[in-house]
Amino acid sequence: MPIRIITTHLEFEGQVSEQRVVIEGDEPPVWGPDAALSIVGTPQPRVDGRERVSGVAEYTYDVRLPGMLIAVGLRSPHPHARVTRIDATRAEVAPGVRAVYTRFNAGDFLHPDNERPFFGEELPYAGDLVALVVAESRAQASDACALIAVDYEPLPFVIDPEAALQPDAPHVILTRENNGLSDEYPKTYERGDITRGLAEADVTVEVRFETPAALHNSLETHGATAQWDGRTLTIWTSTQDVYGSRRQVASALGLMHNQVRAIKQYMGGGFGSKFGTHSSGMLAAYAAYKLGRPVQYMLSREEENLCTGHRSPTIQTYHLGAKRDGTITAIDLHAIANVGATGGWFPPVSMVAKEMYQCPNVRTVDEGARTNLGPFAAFRAPGVVEGTAGFEVALDRLAAALNMDPLEFRRKNYAPEHQAMERPYARKLLLEAYDLAAERIGWATRDAEERRYPLGRDGHLRRGVGMASQMWGGDGGPPAQAIAKLLPDGTAVILTGTQDIGTGTRTVLAQIAAEELGLPLEHVRVELGDTEFGVFSPGSGGSMTLSSVGPAVRMAAVEARKELLEVISQLAEAPTDAIELRQGAVFSRETGKEMGTIASFLDQLDGHEITAKGMRGPNAEGMTVRTFGVQFAEVEVDVGTGEVRVLRVVACHDCGRIVNPLTFSSQIEGGIIQGLGFALMEQRIVDDRLGIPVNANLENYKVPTIRDVPEIEIIPLDRPNIHANTLGTLGAGEPPIIPTPGAIANAVAHALGRPVDALPLTPDRVLKLLNQEATV
Amino acid sequence: MKAFDHVTAASTREAVELLSSAAPDGARLIAGGTDLLTLMKADLIAPPRLIDLKPASELRYLRFDDAGALHIGALTTLADLERHPEVAQRLPVLPQSVRDAATPQLRALATVGGNLLQRPRCWYYRGDALCWLKGGSACFARDGQNKYHAILDHSPCVAVHPSDLAPALLALDAELVIHGPGGARVLPVESFFAAPTDQERVEYRLAADEVLAEITVPRQPEGARGAYLKVMDRQAWAFALVSAAAQVALRDGRIEHVRLVLGGVANVPQRIRAVEDLLTGQELTPKLAEQAAERAVAGAKPLAHNAYKVPLARELARRALLAATGLMV
Ligand SMILES: Cc1cc2nc3c(=O)[nH]c(=O)nc-3n(C[C@H](O)[C@H](O)[C@H](O)COP(=O)(O)OP(=O)(O)OC[C@H]3O[C@@H](n4cnc5c(N)ncnc54)[C@H](O)[C@@H]3O)c2cc1C
Ligand code: SF4
Repeated sequence: MPIRIITTHLEFEGQVSEQRVVIEGDEPPVWGPDAALSIVGTPQPRVDGRERVSGVAEYTYDVRLPGMLIAVGLRSPHPHARVTRIDATRAEVAPGVRAVYTRFNAGDFLHPDNERPFFGEELPYAGDLVALVVAESRAQASDACALIAVDYEPLPFVIDPEAALQPDAPHVILTRENNGLSDEYPKTYERGDITRGLAEADVTVEVRFETPAALHNSLETHGATAQWDGRTLTIWTSTQDVYGSRRQVASALGLMHNQVRAIKQYMGGGFGSKFGTHSSGMLAAYAAYKLGRPVQYMLSREEENLCTGHRSPTIQTYHLGAKRDGTITAIDLHAIANVGATGGWFPPVSMVAKEMYQCPNVRTVDEGARTNLGPFAAFRAPGVVEGTAGFEVALDRLAAALNMDPLEFRRKNYAPEHQAMERPYARKLLLEAYDLAAERIGWATRDAEERRYPLGRDGHLRRGVGMASQMWGGDGGPPAQAIAKLLPDGTAVILTGTQDIGTGTRTVLAQIAAEELGLPLEHVRVELGDTEFGVFSPGSGGSMTLSSVGPAVRMAAVEARKELLEVISQLAEAPTDAIELRQGAVFSRETGKEMGTIASFLDQLDGHEITAKGMRGPNAEGMTVRTFGVQFAEVEVDVGTGEVRVLRVVACHDCGRIVNPLTFSSQIEGGIIQGLGFALMEQRIVDDRLGIPVNANLENYKVPTIRDVPEIEIIPLDRPNIHANTLGTLGAGEPPIIPTPGAIANAVAHALGRPVDALPLTPDRVLKLLNQEATV
Repeated sequence: MKAFDHVTAASTREAVELLSSAAPDGARLIAGGTDLLTLMKADLIAPPRLIDLKPASELRYLRFDDAGALHIGALTTLADLERHPEVAQRLPVLPQSVRDAATPQLRALATVGGNLLQRPRCWYYRGDALCWLKGGSACFARDGQNKYHAILDHSPCVAVHPSDLAPALLALDAELVIHGPGGARVLPVESFFAAPTDQERVEYRLAADEVLAEITVPRQPEGARGAYLKVMDRQAWAFALVSAAAQVALRDGRIEHVRLVLGGVANVPQRIRAVEDLLTGQELTPKLAEQAAERAVAGAKPLAHNAYKVPLARELARRALLAATGLMV
């Protein structure tokens, strides 16, 4: 097939980038609203569900290789220090120890992405790596860690992001001039005239809103098992990106790409923190390469919570203005995000303020602050969850100041076009979503006395209903490839290089291939998570996996089907358009009669396998594809104890075609539960005098339990978006978490009849809102 | 965690013998291990020997005697206590107190004895810092992150007692039967708990060679009812921010007997005598419950991040009293 190189645009986590990609052949026409599909769109249990629930599935931690050594890290207890001396002699001779790496013998081992040494001299946060002990057993490695003597020279540190931005603040990293994220920051976006917009307003509000650092706490921590056999470095790693892992390991060790193989079969969660193989993976690879023995380095929960990333805490200050009739005239946002000591980019906190609602005069200032804490990493709609919470809370304040119904207010300021980019949306079903979801939650009666005061005015319970809108991308994009192979017995293997990070990718890809190949689902096997046997796919993130890889799989299956029909046509001496494939069998279109199984034809060919390739084509130009959706939450607050309970969440999102209602609802439910955690309980707590997080564990960093989970009602729109890709799908991974905290915060404010100024809404914070006495 | 050796004790007597023959700090009892092992994994303690008490099955029982007292063997699990129908009927405050403790898996392992002997959850204590309670000189929580800490100041340490069961046992005037090399002694659970001191940096008073054998709950006054309330940062699997246990008996509509105990406010569960004095002989009205609750937090001295515990403790005290009197469910 002829190839062509094209330029296309890809929006990933709020950043639009231009990409040059190779396109080969032509994609099949999009599955429109009338496409007759029998497997796609039906609820299918996970194809690998049995392995997962029975414990057979091998996670990275489960990898056990003959002669495998275990690595344990020694990490800095200081928020900022210089390592002046390390005496590892006792550790080196301790029982079972095979190596101890420190800056004095591995100081030249550099992270390929930022050139920082893995074992630095300057350690800018508590939890940065000082030494790695590799031993025959975990117990021996940890015992040896305790034998390493380290001299630290403590350095001044700063934990509070606003303090860090002061001119006289201690330097978070000594060699940097200041604690700003980079020379590009603070970064200002402006359209219209903000001063005029505020002057024109009849009503203005100023809102300061703070969001906490949330820790991913994937059940499976970061880490890897690596093996070097003299020819190939194989790394089993907990990653959202096997190709990124291959690249990192190859460049860190100076190997060629064809000498590195990265594998990820089953994943215990990543949520954005696992692009590439993390320093733990590269360290496992380093040790395996040096020692010639397999090495496993899986992080402890505490390490996980100190050094692998977090949703950056934000301080958002809004200045909003509107006309009496509710028309917004001005949106001014100053957003500070604490990116930790070594965070590399700014989470798009201000994206929603720029785009979500109609407004001619907008100014946003993004300011990234470095502090002596672990680095920020992408976390399920990074920036946008925080930004949506702050902005939607601020909008409710403005609606209240205008004495307007919050939903009406949002309808009034509906943005039909992408204002920042001045171009149309491929489609926007938000008004319809508002109607459907408002009806379901009972928005009209939200102020009814008996609903707000379930135990009467003297009772201790108050209920409230709040809402927030959502927008996200997730239409996917090239490059992504797939190969479809039809085997002589009529079964199929689909080769991809993507990974199933727990979302059900393997299942939905199998559905797509089975649909096009006319095979029963159980006759299709999808291979993924392995750079050796796969073909290139991007990292799994940005809610894009299905929409990037799915079309490639579909095209490969379509191409394979074409060849199969050709084969059958010649063998059966019937034209290809007279034949139909269904459930593994061949039917005559004319008579409807079965002509035999697919296998019965392929079997006549002496081992011939049909192999076909598919590629994701370019994205639509001149328009922006978005998910758009809304969530409503109803909460009950105990005003005596400050406890908040979320009773119901109603979610209505436009995620395009729904390939599998079961995997779709898992995404929506998971996103809502994770968002509920952010709204009500999750927060890293740091002692700023000592400069250390005090709750880097699952006891005091609280994630929701099953008892915290509300009734979740999903209103699926399930309409293919024909501009998105040939499947008509949009992502569903991030959309459900985005509006959850904002909707809950607005519901709590409604219940209490007072503004909410920060998350999470733990009992102590709610009591503080209610009670002067609770504030010191 | 350091390596250790593991022996078993088949009886209370054997456990006492093994303990008393060990060097100082040489051995520790292990029951369910749910607290002990976390301390060992964090290297807070490193006993060279563990004496496994679980084979001493004579210590696992729940029995009412003819006089109406409940005898709880120290190895009884929280799950046993939660599920015992007669206990639920006669002393409902007990199952109420353990129902929201930890998780079902933990309750199946955790013993009643171990629950009373568990150490504080203070994050500095459980972390690396050498704080006062661990033998250091400073309490880091007092001027640091202290949202989960005490509002009553009883020692250099401001950690609170984590047990849910302990406040309920205090409200029931329970007693402990303790076996040592010199025989058995009995003491009220209230005097078993004590704020740590310079010499004894621990929240209970038990010698290293003693075994806690039984918790005895005396017969309660006629018609006594109880309630245990706990507020957490989430709906399950969390220690109490504040908890309140109340046990009340009425005669002719007036309070004849009352106990009010607060958890999560001090180094040890706090019996509030001032409230008992105020209420005895009175008819409990919502107004009086409010006054009593006010009195319950009279001496509170909150720290920088835990002032919310004052209104919270007051509210739980009020509700527990009303619930135990049947005025509020
Ligand atoms: C995640 C988690 C959550 C928890 N949540 C709660 C909660 O919400 N509420 C709550 O009340 N508790 C909670 N706990 C604590 C739990 O209830 C206690 O750890 C448990 O009750 C201890 O009992 P055990 O049998 O496991 O004791 P062990 O860990 O075996 O022993 C604890 C201590 O008691 C000593 N000991 C044990 N038995 C005896 C005896 N008979 N005589 C003398 N010494 C003895 C041991 O030497 C040790 O020092 C939680 C624990 C965990 C890990
Ligand atoms: S409260 Fe007690 S345990 Fe916590 S730091 Fe202070 S002394 Fe240590």
